[in-house]
Amino acid sequence: MAVRDILIYPDQRLKTVCAPVAEGDTTVVALIDDLVETMVASGHSVGVAAAQIGDLRRVAVVDVSNSKLGRDNHHGLLTMVNPLVIAHEGQRTMREGCMSVPDYTGNVLRAEEVVVEYRDRDGSERVIRASGFEAVAIQHELDHLDGLLFLDRISSLKTDLFRRKG
Amino acid sequence: MHHYALTVIGRDRPGIIAQVTEILYKLGCNIADSSCTLLGGQYAMIMIVAHPTIASKEEMAAHFAPLEQVKLTAFVRKIDEEAFRCVGIGGEICMISVYGADRPGIVYRVTKELAERQVNISDLNSKLVGSEERPVYVMMLETILPDSISEEEIKQVMQHLATEMKVDISVRSITPVEL
Repeated sequence: MAVRDILIYPDQRLKTVCAPVAEGDTTVVALIDDLVETMVASGHSVGVAAAQIGDLRRVAVVDVSNSKLGRDNHHGLLTMVNPLVIAHEGQRTMREGCMSVPDYTGNVLRAEEVVVEYRDRDGSERVIRASGFEAVAIQHELDHLDGLLFLDRISSLKTDLFRRKG
Repeated sequence: MHHYALTVIGRDRPGIIAQVTEILYKLGCNIADSSCTLLGGQYAMIMIVAHPTIASKEEMAAHFAPLEQVKLTAFVRKIDEEAFRCVGIGGEICMISVYGADRPGIVYRVTKELAERQVNISDLNSKLVGSEERPVYVMMLETILPDSISEEEIKQVMQHLATEMKVDISVRSITPVEL
């Protein structure tokens, strides 16, 4: 168990499509513990994906329960192995930032609600329905598993509610 | 490094950015921050650029003077090194939307209230929309609140102003989420 350094772009590991965790891979437990410790140690963070600490497996942790935006609507600590969004609904824009892309934020359009299936830390299969900030955090972390940063999803340049048509 | 603010403006057409950045590239300038946009048919570029040796504004400006031949007006301003480093203002970020029937003084009255409370405006966009008979003014401001004022207080101030000026104003926090 250890707090790990967060990789910063342009580290190319952040742009890599991560590999699924094999069935019965017990080493993933140590990875999850490191992710949780790293998330907690970074204070403000509500999630970390394995790629952000240089492990290119499809694992991410999310916990919005301590944040102002998420504390009234959350599933507590989520430890997700091979997570997959199997349904989504609605949309919302949030100004996102990322520990791996310091000093820059952007408006990102995400689904308002997602249904995610994943394997938990203990190996059990889970399906949850998340909404609001938790849903945004999950989508942000899951993007890391596909080598996507929020920069790949910016939907508007600053205040463009009245951009020109065409 | 010597830093300059370079602004270029001219009637919009394809190729403006390429023409300007070709000069920058051949000169060996770095482009740091930039904002370029189309405003009422005019293309406006604002760039912070850096050069390792060119130390005078006049010398820098001379390289952009030929842009006049392609109907672009360039302006160069030198930025002293100290000011260049003085960036980054912290605080709650609020988006303020102001819209209503166009009338004189909307921008002034809103920004005066903000200035009196030491609220920083980090971005302002406005556009005249609607029909010629009934023009509507829309303005979006991205503001950074100092610790001395809350989102709630700004909402109240803006509500008073909205009533007085017969425009609609909404205020909402858009402080980025760190994920």
